[in-house]
Amino acid sequence: MKKVALFHLRTPRAVLKKSLVGLILFFLGALAAYVIPFLLPPDIARVWGRHPLTPIFVITGIFLIAYKPIDRSVMRLLEKYFFHKKSFAQMTLMDLAADLSVNLDLQELSNLVVNTFGEVLHLKTVALLVPDPLQNNFEVASAYGWQITASKRLRLATDVPLIKLIHQSGPHTLVRGLLLQSLSWQEANALSRDFDTLQAGWITPLFVKGKLVGLIAFGALSPDTVFDQADFHFFREFAAVIAKSIHNALVVKRLRQLNLELQDSQSQRFQKTKLNAIEQLAAGIAHEIHNPLAIISGKAQVLLMQKGPKRLEQNVQDALNAIVKQTQKAADITRKLLMYSQGGRGPQDWISLEKVLDETLALLAYQASLDQIEITKTLDPDLPRYYANIQEIREVFLNLLLNAVEAVGTRGKIQVELRCRRDEEFIEILCADTGKGIPEEHLDRVFNPFYTTRHEAVGLGLFVTKQIVHRYGGAIRVESQVGEGSLFIIQLPYTAEVPQVKTAETREKLASVSGAGK
Amino acid sequence: MIRKMLIVDDEMEICEFLKSFFEDRDFKVATGHSGEEAIEKAASFQPDVILLDIQMPGMDGLKALKKIKENHPKMKVIMVTAVETEDKIEEAMRYGADNYITKPLSLEYLEKDVRDKIGFFSKTA
Repeated sequence: MKKVALFHLRTPRAVLKKSLVGLILFFLGALAAYVIPFLLPPDIARVWGRHPLTPIFVITGIFLIAYKPIDRSVMRLLEKYFFHKKSFAQMTLMDLAADLSVNLDLQELSNLVVNTFGEVLHLKTVALLVPDPLQNNFEVASAYGWQITASKRLRLATDVPLIKLIHQSGPHTLVRGLLLQSLSWQEANALSRDFDTLQAGWITPLFVKGKLVGLIAFGALSPDTVFDQADFHFFREFAAVIAKSIHNALVVKRLRQLNLELQDSQSQRFQKTKLNAIEQLAAGIAHEIHNPLAIISGKAQVLLMQKGPKRLEQNVQDALNAIVKQTQKAADITRKLLMYSQGGRGPQDWISLEKVLDETLALLAYQASLDQIEITKTLDPDLPRYYANIQEIREVFLNLLLNAVEAVGTRGKIQVELRCRRDEEFIEILCADTGKGIPEEHLDRVFNPFYTTRHEAVGLGLFVTKQIVHRYGGAIRVESQVGEGSLFIIQLPYTAEVPQVKTAETREKLASVSGAGK
Repeated sequence: MIRKMLIVDDEMEICEFLKSFFEDRDFKVATGHSGEEAIEKAASFQPDVILLDIQMPGMDGLKALKKIKENHPKMKVIMVTAVETEDKIEEAMRYGADNYITKPLSLEYLEKDVRDKIGFFSKTA
């Protein structure tokens, strides 16, 4: 792929412009030849008329002297009045360049670039692609005129013919039609596939210091918008400005990401050490409690199992049975505590909150139908996936819903809602019930351990829920009206799904998928 | 046929009630209170089954289990634990423990399990 076609000089519009300049100059000269004798004093005018070639000499002189300035001003006038739109376009693009230089947000920058190009040049589609170092391909940072889903899916591997060609040809704009003509059909075929993927008529690569930081794919042009060499030169200069801004934004984005990862790993380490201490404590307590419980329960069981003449009276047996049962219950509490302390050790992954909610609802469906409780759920249509330990999120939903079911008792409604507050970067879980409500003086105690209004309950559910929510950096609160019901609100902060935290397996899967698409 | 059982727990009381329970069910029972004692009595008493507490001061149940299974691979060992710490249970299983039960114990379940392990089905009290 040695031959690299770049762009063509002789576009119809450029020819038209040049011929207009010639025409105007000719008329100016002819006019001068006839007007000058009238302006000159009579004796000189007579000399002027004496030789037929004089006017031609004068006109030629004017031509030679005035060509440059007239050409320039005529071009300028032509630009202004006949190609008004284009100079307007260039001015708008210059404004854009000024805006770009002060912006460091990659998303905003990209949106600005593609939208301005799309609107100003009346293009069908524009897409700005930036490299994704982790996936080793280019992804769409922003697109104009594209379907969102299509642009989100679009990936361009770094080893496709187009990118290779860009690395060879440098910061020149590549025009599809001209480029393909100059190549063998195999090369053209391979290359046109990349152009098709990008829906591009021409592509402007963005280089910073010889490094490819992105590319802009301009949609196929409508026949009347054709650019000349000056335009492409302009694009090249302009691309350099965009490239610099994009490069800066990419660097800033990467730094932010690294910073977040660092904070994340630090807080995780902190939590891990903290958990280990709690876990040890809980294990110690459980051991200390379970041994005496084992003795109490064991001795009672030995007595209970005596047969024949040693068989105990019924009332004693009842008492012993109660002892065995209650020791088991006590052991369950410490076991729960221990399980709580061991929480957070499970693997984390991207999970669908909707799926976890559905699982939990399925568990409760029977109980709810018995109690004539109607449970409805409302879902954000594009709820992002959440990075968490699935067991913990299950526990959150289960505790929340169990609590609501208990609060309602019989006949009532529970409404669960999952919504994503993108502007504030958190996911909200709302659970409203039409239960008995919580008296105001108890509101601050509902999340305390062992707080319960039910005789048979342990009172750890909401406490555990709160601990889990806190572990994810979230918050839980409750609003309640006695006799009307309660509303529990959980807010979990989320970060957009980034590929590097995916498990190695999913990464491999992704790689094979994107590889197969090429 | 009289079956022999070794019960090892640092908690005397636990050994005591387990001893009386299994003696009532025609077992011959010996007790120990540490890992060292468990190894020693496994050799001298030659029990069919050992109930071995995991958490004990000094040599713990896991180390004793490893040693016992090395010396007497056919001896059945049921681990008894106060807390279900997954890694410890996993370790015990790796050393060849035949089962584990958690405190507080259900004697009914324990008896059934012991009989299962030593192939002792006919005996009823």
